[in-house]
Amino acid sequence: MKVKLLLNLVLHSVEFFSPNAEGTVILVLHEYRWHAVASWTWDAQDETCGICRMAFDGCCSDCKLPGDDCPLIWGACNHAFHLHCILKWVNTQTSQAHCPMCRREWQFKG
Amino acid sequence: MNFNDDTLQEICQSFSGFCAAVKSLLNDSGDLSVRQDFVTHVQTLCKHGDRLRTLARDYFLRSLEEAFEKNGASRFWRHFENYSKIEEDLEKIDEDEIQRVLCKALEEICLVKEDQEKWLLIFVQALQSYMENVPDGKYNFEAEKDYLLSKYQLIVSSILMASLPRRFPEILRWYFKGRLEELSTIMGGELNEENECQDRDEMDLDDKSKCRIGEMDIDECYRQDKFSENNKLVKNIGKVVRDLRNLGFTSMTEDAYASAIFLLLKDKVHNLAGDDYRSSVLDSIKGWIQAVPLQFLNALLAYLGDSTSFDQHSSALKSPLASQPSSSYPGTSTPSQGLVKWKLRLEYFAYETLQDLRIAKLFEIIVDYPESSPAIEDLKQCLEYTGQHSKLVESFISALKYRLLTAGASTNDILHQYVSTIKALRTIDPAGIFLEAVGEPIRDYLRGRKDTTKCIVTMLTDGTSGNPNGSGNNGDSLLEELNRDEENQENVGLDDAFNTDDKQAWVDAQRWEPDPVEADPTKGSQNRRKVDIFGMIVSIIGSKDQFVNEYRVVLAEKLLDKSDYDIDSEIHAESVETGISLDNLDATIISSNFWPPIQDEALILPEPVDHLLSDYARRFHEVKTPRKLLWKKNLGTVKLELQFEDKAMQFTVGPVHAAIIMQFQEQTSWTSKNLAAATGIPVDVLNRRISFWISKGVLTESLGTDPSDHVFTLVEGMVDTSKNSGNGGNSEELLAVDEEAERSVASVEDQLRKEMMVYEKFIMGMLTNFGSMALDRIHNTLKMFCIADPPYDKSLQQLQSFLSGLVSEEKLELRDGMYFLKK
Repeated sequence: MKVKLLLNLVLHSVEFFSPNAEGTVILVLHEYRWHAVASWTWDAQDETCGICRMAFDGCCSDCKLPGDDCPLIWGACNHAFHLHCILKWVNTQTSQAHCPMCRREWQFKG
Repeated sequence: MNFNDDTLQEICQSFSGFCAAVKSLLNDSGDLSVRQDFVTHVQTLCKHGDRLRTLARDYFLRSLEEAFEKNGASRFWRHFENYSKIEEDLEKIDEDEIQRVLCKALEEICLVKEDQEKWLLIFVQALQSYMENVPDGKYNFEAEKDYLLSKYQLIVSSILMASLPRRFPEILRWYFKGRLEELSTIMGGELNEENECQDRDEMDLDDKSKCRIGEMDIDECYRQDKFSENNKLVKNIGKVVRDLRNLGFTSMTEDAYASAIFLLLKDKVHNLAGDDYRSSVLDSIKGWIQAVPLQFLNALLAYLGDSTSFDQHSSALKSPLASQPSSSYPGTSTPSQGLVKWKLRLEYFAYETLQDLRIAKLFEIIVDYPESSPAIEDLKQCLEYTGQHSKLVESFISALKYRLLTAGASTNDILHQYVSTIKALRTIDPAGIFLEAVGEPIRDYLRGRKDTTKCIVTMLTDGTSGNPNGSGNNGDSLLEELNRDEENQENVGLDDAFNTDDKQAWVDAQRWEPDPVEADPTKGSQNRRKVDIFGMIVSIIGSKDQFVNEYRVVLAEKLLDKSDYDIDSEIHAESVETGISLDNLDATIISSNFWPPIQDEALILPEPVDHLLSDYARRFHEVKTPRKLLWKKNLGTVKLELQFEDKAMQFTVGPVHAAIIMQFQEQTSWTSKNLAAATGIPVDVLNRRISFWISKGVLTESLGTDPSDHVFTLVEGMVDTSKNSGNGGNSEELLAVDEEAERSVASVEDQLRKEMMVYEKFIMGMLTNFGSMALDRIHNTLKMFCIADPPYDKSLQQLQSFLSGLVSEEKLELRDGMYFLKK
């Protein structure tokens, strides 16, 4: 799944004029195209999922692709798990499921 | 027995008569009357009993010996006196002269010998005729005759041998060499025509040697006329050989012509083989053997009646005419055993010579491997014949050590040679046993080089084989070759998998061949062992894991360098997430867990760019809540165009360079300290990076008031310093790569260092306790005790390089192979 962020800023040609007293040296950055690199994070305040022990920024043991394919979910208790992991857990519980971390009743957050 | 005076008298008389007759016989080849006398005296002496007969015989033989020594041997040798004096080189001597002298000398001495043999026969006949008259004579003449003749032969040869001049064998060799060369040139002209029919004959040549000789006969039929020319020459040689044999020089003669033939053959092989590896020479060598030396030997052996084992004296008795029946015409003779033996000897020699020649040049051959495969094929056949693989291994290893495994050779070249070696030797030895031996030193050496892994991975991933200046390996991609190879091998594998039925199993079983003797039994059997180039290369690195690690790093760097990556086409697509967004900003967003650790460098981006980035990040967070972006500010690429007063320049640079140059928009001159503060780059790094802009002629560097502080100024008027960047000032620069400094991904060494850090405390502790330790011991102790998380799994080499790092950091000391704590 690909999401394209389209944002049309009128930045097509950014020009910076260097004010120069003598007026001899002028550098104009005529045009530039910046290709940046970033990594994403779930920002879960923890490294690994408490159920599968895999990294949050990775994926659960059943998935191959991290990110949208293997999202995180937060409980009401603010504990985060891979969605797939906690669903498995919840489904195996016969009665009301509890958070595996704090034993409070499991509620999906918001 | 009682002798009365009369008998005594008679004996004395006839003995002295006998002596006189012998003397005159031998001195002036006496006339008929002397001969008559001689016979009567002999018979008289015989009458008086066995002892006198023996006495007469011994005396006769002695006289013969003396006479031969005087008339035969000394004269014979006198012919060669001239040559004996010339110590240095026989080469100066005219070959024709040798031939003439030799023939003449032989003729003379043979004449003498013939004469003497004649008298010997007369003596025997005299005995015979006497015995026949005596009624109770059941005397064995044949035995007596044989005895006398062989005795005589012995005398002749021992006299000659005893007085043999030192140079004589050499003279003989020289003679045969001259003759053979003559023959060879005659045959050589013919060989050219011959080659065509040889080719034609090649079809039915499959049935080894026997058949080939039979076929040679066919060839000879239509060579007959030409051959008669040679026949004369061969006959001459044959006569010389026979005479020499006659004189008891059998083995010396054989040695002489054998060595002459071998010498010639060697020359021929060297001539044909030369330094050209692009064509196979084995067939033409075989053809030549067939055409020249074998023809010669065939004729010679036929002429001599092929009688090496023939009794000497009986052949000596035969008249020259009798010894050459029609069999001297090669067309009708069947190949004798002697000839077959010769053929085998010659071929073996040729194979060995060629093999030695090729082995000596194996390094060069492998350097131009795909072109030189005919030479490799030749070598393979030779080795199959001679079985001297170990020679190849030894010589090649020493060549490698001398030529390739030196500090001067680039890792890429070594790797290429290694691959060529693997491929070439695979032809020679499909089981890969010798390859194992040969490859070992290369692998060992490569393991000692730091950049090996990187080179291998680059070679494997890059089509252009990793070195941009492409030192001679004309862009043949290792990857492609490996793929091709893989396919082949896979096909084979497929075959193996499917052919499980009994019939195929039987075929397989029949094809089985034992490992060569040199095989190392610990390294598994040939069965199922395929030479897997990829495997052999990876084995240099040590383990698959290490390879994968390095591969990941290289791949990561590549992906990061690309701004317009076609994500779907790449295997690792899943780890690169999203693409284009803002008009002049796009981003590669990676899943950090799928990437090797990324080198972090401090960098403060220019405000507008920073603004863009945070904007982008905010949008991302909105769309992908709750995910957040973490910018790797020092990574990526920036395409920018600098507009000066009179021209524009385009660059594609890293963010660091872009950030630096953008600072100059606001202020045309910066001191390095201020600039470092503005960009957030450490001063030393900045000084290194800024040199890019200086080299492009955009900035100039000058010393400021503070000597440690440099001043960078935007160039006025932009003198075109970068002449190589060419026309109109509109130059496109490729990514400024400053290899070591700009690795975006932490190198494997760095990673290793990080991993080893865990053990540093441990090692320090050990050394505090033990004082000093050798590398092995540290390694073993770590292995023994560091079994918990993370277990110690490093190799000895890795530990060593880590320790030497510690030594250079002055934490440790290394003396005589022992590590100490630095005091």
